[in-house]
Amino acid sequence: MKLKVYSDRLSQPVRAVLIFCKVNGIEFEEVRVDLSKREHFSPEFSEINPMNQLPAIVDGEFKLFESHAILIYLASSYPEVADHWYPADVFKRSKIHSVLDWRHSNLRRGPVTIVQNTVLAPMFCRPFNPEGAAEGEKLLSAALSKIESFWLEGNGPFLLSANQPSIADLSLVCEIMQLELLDEADRNRLLSPYKKVQQWIENTRNATNPHFDEVHKSLKEIKEQLQK
Amino acid sequence: MKLKVYADRMSQPVRAVIIFCKVNCINYEEVRLDIAKRQHLTPKYAEINPMKQLPAIVDGRFKLFESHAILIYLACSFPGVADHWYPVDVFKRSKIHSVLDWHHSNLHPGPVTIVRNTVLAPALGRPFNPEAAAEGEKILSASLAKIETVWLKDNGRFLLGGNQPSIADLSLVCDIMQLELLDESDRDRLLGPYKKVQQWIENTRNATNPHFDEVHKILMKAKEKRQNQRLKGENHGGGGSDMKKPLVSRI
Repeated sequence: MKLKVYSDRLSQPVRAVLIFCKVNGIEFEEVRVDLSKREHFSPEFSEINPMNQLPAIVDGEFKLFESHAILIYLASSYPEVADHWYPADVFKRSKIHSVLDWRHSNLRRGPVTIVQNTVLAPMFCRPFNPEGAAEGEKLLSAALSKIESFWLEGNGPFLLSANQPSIADLSLVCEIMQLELLDEADRNRLLSPYKKVQQWIENTRNATNPHFDEVHKSLKEIKEQLQK
Repeated sequence: MKLKVYADRMSQPVRAVIIFCKVNCINYEEVRLDIAKRQHLTPKYAEINPMKQLPAIVDGRFKLFESHAILIYLACSFPGVADHWYPVDVFKRSKIHSVLDWHHSNLHPGPVTIVRNTVLAPALGRPFNPEAAAEGEKILSASLAKIETVWLKDNGRFLLGGNQPSIADLSLVCDIMQLELLDESDRDRLLGPYKKVQQWIENTRNATNPHFDEVHKILMKAKEKRQNQRLKGENHGGGGSDMKKPLVSRI
């Protein structure tokens, strides 16, 4: 039985899992669950993930949710996955855990808060909320500063001075890509102070293309729809 | 060079790391930093952890922060640590990662938000904020309901049907223990509906005692101090639960 990935490509952590599978040649079936139609609250999906969130996977009889846990499981279980994604070395691996944990409490809320209070508000029946979005911008800027000054401190193209991407790069870059839903002017305003961050996003994209662009196509399509 | 753990035992994730070390007989030096005195914001500590948070560890030349990352590192690097803390089995291990990740965005904000906006507000130089505390209560209740019905769904003594504790049990229970800072009536009101959760907290405590109680003593002392201060205040005309009335500043 093929791996199933429960997915809505609007979701940043979903995209990280999809790109990871495609880049590593992991065969899977993408089971689409539409967040805007609240399909993640269906009884069927609750059997897969009682927390009603995406992504989730089913591998044989094994069910798992939370994207970091999923990425680690896939990296550990599929022998075709190269070591740099989730190194066996305990020191490198621990630093990756540190970035992933930091992401939860620091980076994640920024882009989510901005887009949910602006461009995605109508889709999720929420009011447009400029103060909420402004709070999101503060969170995002604080997080991007930390990435620029600390996580990208060394001279490597990727986080933690690495020369090849890890699951941390993929996870964090997919998070920041949510800003593609904004007007280009806003996106540039938010990202432009951070030169290393912009380069790192490009590096991660190049290292995982054509899959990165293909998976992110949905964001462009959604943006076009919203602009109509 | 001995492992160093940068610690303020008022912090839930710090307590999880310290109890883990003690239970597993990991030799370490506890370097005390007082969050209320803003000692985590010094340039010296920023060299250890530029995110300026606790806990952090230094093992030889290796520095690490984020408590889940630290617990995993210790479980993998110190040979005396029994497998149940962080099993080698990829399926069990993945489920533990799932709990720990869920914890960040779900359980952890609950107790933090409640205590920061009530009992710990003065120590942190923050205003008393009952609306924010009420939000924290909602987050906590939603999370406790999920622990009761999902993570404790199977009949084990610990999360995920386990018969022995993992780092996930320690991490989550230490977070809930922050509620010890509240009045007993508030704590009972918040935890009362969740029987499995209460039993699980007790199981985790028993599995890690006497270290669990010893490390949590600081919360009891902080609570006693606050209650004494309130009694002094009542003698001058105040009174009532800290969650329900604004604290009168004595500054």
